[in-house]
Amino acid sequence: MDTAFKGEHLLPGQLGQFFVILAFASALLSTISYYFATTNPDQSDRSWQRIARFSFFTNTVSVIGIGCCLFYIIYTHLFEYHYAWEHSSKSLPVYYIISSYWEGQEGSFWLWGFWQAVLGNILIWKAKSWEKPVMTIVSLSQVLLSSMLIGVAIFGERIGSSPFILLRDAIDLKGTTPIFASRPDLYHNYLSYITDGNGLNPLLQNYWMVIHPPTLFLGFASMVVPFAYAIAGLWQKRYKEWVQPAISYSLFAVMVLGTGVIMGSFWAYESLNFGGFWAWDPVENAALIPWLTLIGAVHVLIVYKNTGHSYFTATFLVLISFVLVLYASFLTRSGILGDTSVHAFTDLGMFWHLVVDVAIFLAISIWLLVIRWKELPISKKEEETYSREFWMFVGSVFLALSCLQLIIVTSIPVWNAIFKTNVAPPNNPVTLYNVFQAGFAVVVTLLAGFTQFLKYKKTDTTRFFITSLVYFVFAGLITALVVYTSGIYHLHIVFTLVMLGAIYSVLANAKVLADAFKGKIKLAGSAVAHIGFGLILVGAVIAAGTSKVVSQNNTGEQYSSEFAKHNDPKENIMLYKNEPVKMGDYVITYLGDSLSMPNHYFKVDYKLMDANGGLKEEFVLKPNSQFNPKMGLVSSPDTKHYLFHDLYTHVTMVPANSGISQPDDGHSETNDDQNYDPPIAHEIAVGDTIRFREGYILLAGLNKKAQVQNIPLTGNDVAVGAKLEVVSHGKTYDAEPVYMIKNGSAFDFARKVEDAGLKLRFSKIIPEKGKVEISVYQQPESKKAYIVMKAIQFPYINFFWSGTIIMVIGFLLSIFRRNKELKTV
Amino acid sequence: MYFCAPVTEVKSLMKKSSILGLIVIAIAIALIIGLYGSASTYGSFKDAKSTNGELHVIGYLDKTKELYYDAAKDANYFSFFMKDKKNGEECKVIFTGTKPQDFERSEQIVLVGEMRGGEFHASHIQMKCPSKYTQDKVEITEASAKKADL
Repeated sequence: MDTAFKGEHLLPGQLGQFFVILAFASALLSTISYYFATTNPDQSDRSWQRIARFSFFTNTVSVIGIGCCLFYIIYTHLFEYHYAWEHSSKSLPVYYIISSYWEGQEGSFWLWGFWQAVLGNILIWKAKSWEKPVMTIVSLSQVLLSSMLIGVAIFGERIGSSPFILLRDAIDLKGTTPIFASRPDLYHNYLSYITDGNGLNPLLQNYWMVIHPPTLFLGFASMVVPFAYAIAGLWQKRYKEWVQPAISYSLFAVMVLGTGVIMGSFWAYESLNFGGFWAWDPVENAALIPWLTLIGAVHVLIVYKNTGHSYFTATFLVLISFVLVLYASFLTRSGILGDTSVHAFTDLGMFWHLVVDVAIFLAISIWLLVIRWKELPISKKEEETYSREFWMFVGSVFLALSCLQLIIVTSIPVWNAIFKTNVAPPNNPVTLYNVFQAGFAVVVTLLAGFTQFLKYKKTDTTRFFITSLVYFVFAGLITALVVYTSGIYHLHIVFTLVMLGAIYSVLANAKVLADAFKGKIKLAGSAVAHIGFGLILVGAVIAAGTSKVVSQNNTGEQYSSEFAKHNDPKENIMLYKNEPVKMGDYVITYLGDSLSMPNHYFKVDYKLMDANGGLKEEFVLKPNSQFNPKMGLVSSPDTKHYLFHDLYTHVTMVPANSGISQPDDGHSETNDDQNYDPPIAHEIAVGDTIRFREGYILLAGLNKKAQVQNIPLTGNDVAVGAKLEVVSHGKTYDAEPVYMIKNGSAFDFARKVEDAGLKLRFSKIIPEKGKVEISVYQQPESKKAYIVMKAIQFPYINFFWSGTIIMVIGFLLSIFRRNKELKTV
Repeated sequence: MYFCAPVTEVKSLMKKSSILGLIVIAIAIALIIGLYGSASTYGSFKDAKSTNGELHVIGYLDKTKELYYDAAKDANYFSFFMKDKKNGEECKVIFTGTKPQDFERSEQIVLVGEMRGGEFHASHIQMKCPSKYTQDKVEITEASAKKADL
């Protein structure tokens, strides 16, 4: 009985669950009504359409309702709900509550459904005669997304996973927690034992994680629109008209998805420690695959619109792009990637649900293509060899092929599951992907270059050869210069060729852009987008190809001849606190750590010296580590950005006890001494110095009126302080250990100089010699505070980021242009 | 309609699209062969001894033996003992790099590397920690002070 549990708030969850069911039911009704509205022979009868619209609006309201309930639950820390307990905690700032929304699969499905609802409303408003068939498909997709959130068992199988499941239903509290096992009478009051949630994965506590998932999911969601238009075109036999709106929506989808992907890459660069901006991780590939096919689709759609060629390819690429979006969500959410991805994907028991999702849309696509096959306007006439459409077509085919390579390799676990094999992923997937994808990029960029000099239908060959050749030679010269100065020629030859292709593409499109300014303004969008794409490749090849580990370190001890023989690169450098180390052109010093919960920052000072040893530049980087009870230590880098390169630093290891320097409480003296080497006693007079491993100590004077806190002196008591100046690594610290005679007994009060790793005792006064005895305790090397870190230099990475921005501007210009041409009826 | 097209044009159509089609098929086959060639295998330490080159070994950390990492001596040397999943054979593993955070807690390790002498030199370590997802245990904090309020 629900009421048996104390302190639970069941209303928000019940309301949320009601909205979940309503969202599913209304989407289903909307799909059915739109279907009948489309197939109704009497098109003046608007009753089906009215029902369909009403149910889609209901769906939109329900989706928003789900979002509000979930927000309320997380915001008010209702940990009786599994989602809130799993993904948030009380200490989470409000803006990260938004991120905790999509840490779980349910939240990200909701986000997807939300965007799809928004797009559906735009289509109802804008699509006119296309509304009925297009919305049939969009609603169907909404049915499947809503079904992922149901979380109700039907015939013994749980369908979907609801974000409103209670903690006590999701986890067997009685069985797994000893308290309730031994004292079942306490169970009704379980909530008072759960004081906080699990908290948000520290890596997601980043501002990019607030905006990257919404952008990415808007991109995924908007891919359904061109798909729906392509299906509607086949269904309604309107083979020509669907293309124009599909171009606009496809451009929107590739723009948003591309931005989302690069935002993810920027997040990885800023807050993950894999040391780069792209790692060909299955998750990244999953987002890139549909992007590549839809980019190809945009090009052939334009070809089809302008020349009537390539109808089948255009339709096929649009259809497959959306199916691949669904396939990507199957890959990343079903748990099939298992051992091959470091990402801890869960199997929420939705494996077959996700398979069905892919299968439904794949089946619809194939079925419609088959039954309409004979009618399809496939042109029987060959394209001219010297025509723009032919080479745009070739380029799109190569984009699809590069995508094929990504699919084949990323899907290895899928092949294993289907064919019952046990093939491991490539040993060095990054190199493999880099080389293959670079090969395709060479072809695609060269095509994106010289195709600009071709015209639709037919081109004057002589002029074409002269212009494209002139630009090619020019690009070759620049490439030679870039390749030589950046050192790319050390890499595989294919990267030099990519550079050539990218630069050629930038130059050729710069010419188009120049023409655009002279009046052919229509062409500006594609030119700008192509320039952006070229710059992205230039930046990626230089930054990733010539990034250099600055923290090279070959001072380590050799462990075995076997180990030494291979001379593996040593990429981590160890820094003791306050001991400067030379690293490349820099002198770096670990200054210390500071704690600002839950982040643990390590301050590393960088000094750049010029040839004469003068200080050119100095800055402090603060890479951090976050200790998370769930994930252990999670390190995030800190990066110094320059215009032409970035210096990237992250902590790879900190000693387990490093922590925060404990306050010196002066107690447990004997224990404390174990942290130091055996003391060395020095007899010295005022003005003398004592040498130690990392500097010297000067006895500046004696303070006859030393005070020790809380110990009042009476009668014959004496307290003398030794004024010591400790000089270590160019810094001076003062310390004053005290020697005291109280009630006839001698005491002394040691002082520590943490930064120099010293403890100093004023252990004796020797009046006959006029000297004092100072005992020096030195920390052994291993007890000193240190960090192990890695620093990487990324040259010209700003090309990569700025190329992205330029490409997005290009897409925007193209969308404006296509929308102007759009006259929907 | 297209029956009326001149014979030469039909011929040239065959030619260009067939050439492109052939290129596409050739590249597709090359990709699949490329996958076959580059794909690695999952093996045991025994397999690693008889194999030249790198392979994947899945196994479990032997928590009773020493994990050696001393940054003061060499920040880039980490060694431990692992039992492979296939045969339960144990082998010393050496990794050029720092000890991954939380290595002790790992449930399962996937190594990529090769056997050199009697030691397995890993070029890549991937570990599976008890993730938050599988950790279906609620941490119960004694909240006796708070209980009084409720």
